[in-house]
Amino acid sequence: MSDPMLPTQDVAVELLVEAGAVLASSLDLSTTMRQVARLTVPRLADLCVIDLRDDDGSIREVAVAAADPRIAGPLEALRREHPLDPAGEHPVARVIRCGEAELLAQMSSSLMHSFAQGSEHARFMIEHRYHSAVVAPLLARGRTLGALSVLRLGESESYELDDLELVCELARRAAMAIDNARLYSQLRKVEQRLEAVLVNVAEAITLTDDRGRMVFANQAAAELLGASTPTELTSASPGSIMPRFLVLDEHGRELDLESMPARRLFAGESVEPLLVRNIVRATGEERWLIVRSSPVVDPESERILYAVNVFENITEVKRAQLAESFMAEASRVLASSMDYAETLTQIAQLAVPQIADWCAVDVLGEDGEIERVAVHHTDPTRIELAERIDRGYHLDRDDPLGVPEVIRSGRARIYNDIPPEALAAYARDDAHLAMLQAIGATAVIIVPLAAPSRTLGAITLVSSESLRRLSHGDLALAERLGRRAGTAVESARLYTERSRIATMLEAALLPESLPQIPGAELASLYRAAGELNDVGGDFYDVLPYGEGRWLLVIGDVCGKGPRAAAVTALARHTLRTAAMLELTPTAMLETLHRSLRNQPAGSDLCTVCLATLELVGAGARLMVTLAGHPPPLIIDADGEAAQVGTPGTLLGVLDPIEIGEVEVELERGQTLLMYTDGLPEADRTGMQLGEQHLFEPSVQRSDPTLVGLLTQVERAALRRANGRLRDDIAMLAVCMD
Amino acid sequence: MGAQDQLQIAVRREADRVILALDGELDMATAEQLQHATDGLEGQAMVVLDLEQLQFIDSTGLRSVLSVLERCRDRGQEFAVTRGSQQVQRLLGVTGVAKHLRIIDAADEVLA
Repeated sequence: MSDPMLPTQDVAVELLVEAGAVLASSLDLSTTMRQVARLTVPRLADLCVIDLRDDDGSIREVAVAAADPRIAGPLEALRREHPLDPAGEHPVARVIRCGEAELLAQMSSSLMHSFAQGSEHARFMIEHRYHSAVVAPLLARGRTLGALSVLRLGESESYELDDLELVCELARRAAMAIDNARLYSQLRKVEQRLEAVLVNVAEAITLTDDRGRMVFANQAAAELLGASTPTELTSASPGSIMPRFLVLDEHGRELDLESMPARRLFAGESVEPLLVRNIVRATGEERWLIVRSSPVVDPESERILYAVNVFENITEVKRAQLAESFMAEASRVLASSMDYAETLTQIAQLAVPQIADWCAVDVLGEDGEIERVAVHHTDPTRIELAERIDRGYHLDRDDPLGVPEVIRSGRARIYNDIPPEALAAYARDDAHLAMLQAIGATAVIIVPLAAPSRTLGAITLVSSESLRRLSHGDLALAERLGRRAGTAVESARLYTERSRIATMLEAALLPESLPQIPGAELASLYRAAGELNDVGGDFYDVLPYGEGRWLLVIGDVCGKGPRAAAVTALARHTLRTAAMLELTPTAMLETLHRSLRNQPAGSDLCTVCLATLELVGAGARLMVTLAGHPPPLIIDADGEAAQVGTPGTLLGVLDPIEIGEVEVELERGQTLLMYTDGLPEADRTGMQLGEQHLFEPSVQRSDPTLVGLLTQVERAALRRANGRLRDDIAMLAVCMD
Repeated sequence: MGAQDQLQIAVRREADRVILALDGELDMATAEQLQHATDGLEGQAMVVLDLEQLQFIDSTGLRSVLSVLERCRDRGQEFAVTRGSQQVQRLLGVTGVAKHLRIIDAADEVLA
């Protein structure tokens, strides 16, 4: 109040400099405003008030500074009780409304009464001798945020136009500070909200700038990237995090920093989410991550400021998916072939690099020795190393450790730490040790190749250059693989054995060779259905039947397997004996029927076609007898075919049986074709066109021999069956030369 | 094995008979199904196999039909079949089984 005023010009410069410093120093709004108000007192004013307009339009006093300590407190209380009417005549309200500064050089008591907010306010102003005032708007970005008022009291000088300008300048600066502070606090609020979200999400999130610096990381990111706190990540130097990991793509190829989505974003590329296999070098832990990066773009420069990186950990899902697709693929491979050495090689190839860097399969041979059947690594030169070890240091079945031990015990083993001394103890000599060291195993799984009743061998999985730790999930998957492959190997062995037995049995059921009939050509064909050729029930035979006569037999015993084989043998031998005794065809069939009826189970049924052949001149006389069997065909040289015979009852089930006999001439050039039901039923339509179409007469016979004809008929049947016969086919044919 | 390998058997009981309607293929893969379906039909005066929708039958299928016939005879039940597809008719004809079966036009045909 009584302090002498400094020359205006100096005050102005000094004030603005100090205000600049104050406004830049803090971004807390009320603190800043109080500091600004204090700057003006006493150099420029005896009292300074700063009012702000709230979002709802009301006016709120935020700072009061006064030279006289008795003024500030009561004024603040007064303003709280009687807030300024935004539509009123108070200079602050007017300035805020129209955005123009006001100079009130001399305030008369009547003027003060005119804008006072009630009598108490008027009394206060008069009591404190309000004298001269400048009210300047707080203008920022075109908006009036409030007003800065400076007042002189009592005897002080009146304000002049120069003062008005200075106050306006000060108000502009304060307004900018207020505006920044508001923006800053809004930003802080947004950031806090964002941070609250980011910190709490399960996904790891980082924010990186164009220099690769991490400016933000949440707790999940810290955990994923092996840091104890997010700060450890944000204070790390660019590029120092990635080398902690081995980063591979889905196919096992190593990825560098430049191929990461964030880097590619900054390089101006558009990026898709990237699936990576990430292995922690320090621990060998493996994770599957989806990395998504999106840009934060500066709206003005359109430059990418930051990349937001989201790491989604899909390890569990991916492992389960990989395990399932691996097992599905393994099952497919195992089912594709009965050659188990080939199959196991494919299994080893399948396991690399998906489960391990190395895969070897050893089986126990017939002689009890361990035999390496497959070894795989993505690098062929490395495979050679494994083969050298196997050649030079062949596994001994009595070795206390490793594959032999797993084969003996049938129990899977997992080793995730292989101390050098253990390797040294295992090695047989220094050269062996050197080769084992070159393999570089960091983890090993050995599982038994387990068939239901025994262990056939072992599968070894080794992790080396990938540094991957083998988990118990990997062990479980490998054990499944071992069981599945073991079962496949066992069934392949059984299959080989069974086909051998089946071939032997079939040989016993079918004639080794057909006899010679003068002037006639004989041919037969037998085709078993399917790959698992259980012994079928089709049979045929050609037997001498008295002087110049032969008996041609074809038949079909219902069913498959040992029982059908036994019934087939019974039928064939009954007919042989009957032919020797020269029984009539009908008597032969009745004999067979009775012997089938005498079988304990009683439901074995059998169909038979007999044809007796008696040479007459250049041709032959045939008697065709049917017992539930499809009638044979007589085919002319030009391909025309006709069925012969009348249906008779099948044997072994129904009583009484009816047997039909038909006599027919077989002329020169004509062929009698006898067959079993597998031929007309090959396509399951029951030959609706008629059985004479069986051999497609429209097709030219490419092979004039009788065997050629049968082969052609068989091929046509296979075509009709789409390559998959469901019943055996037997054919017996005789042609008069 | 596709759908064509399958056999559906619908069992329908009417006043004097039980009708087993066969749809699909009666062969080595499905014959046992028919055996199971005919277990526990002792109470019925008549058993009818409706073969109208049977597309295929082989010798094993035929054997299972014949064993149903035998069981019916043992129990003193009537047994009949409907005609069935051309393939079914062919096999019943060629094997002489047709002569041993009572073949009716429709499963609910009233018998004298």
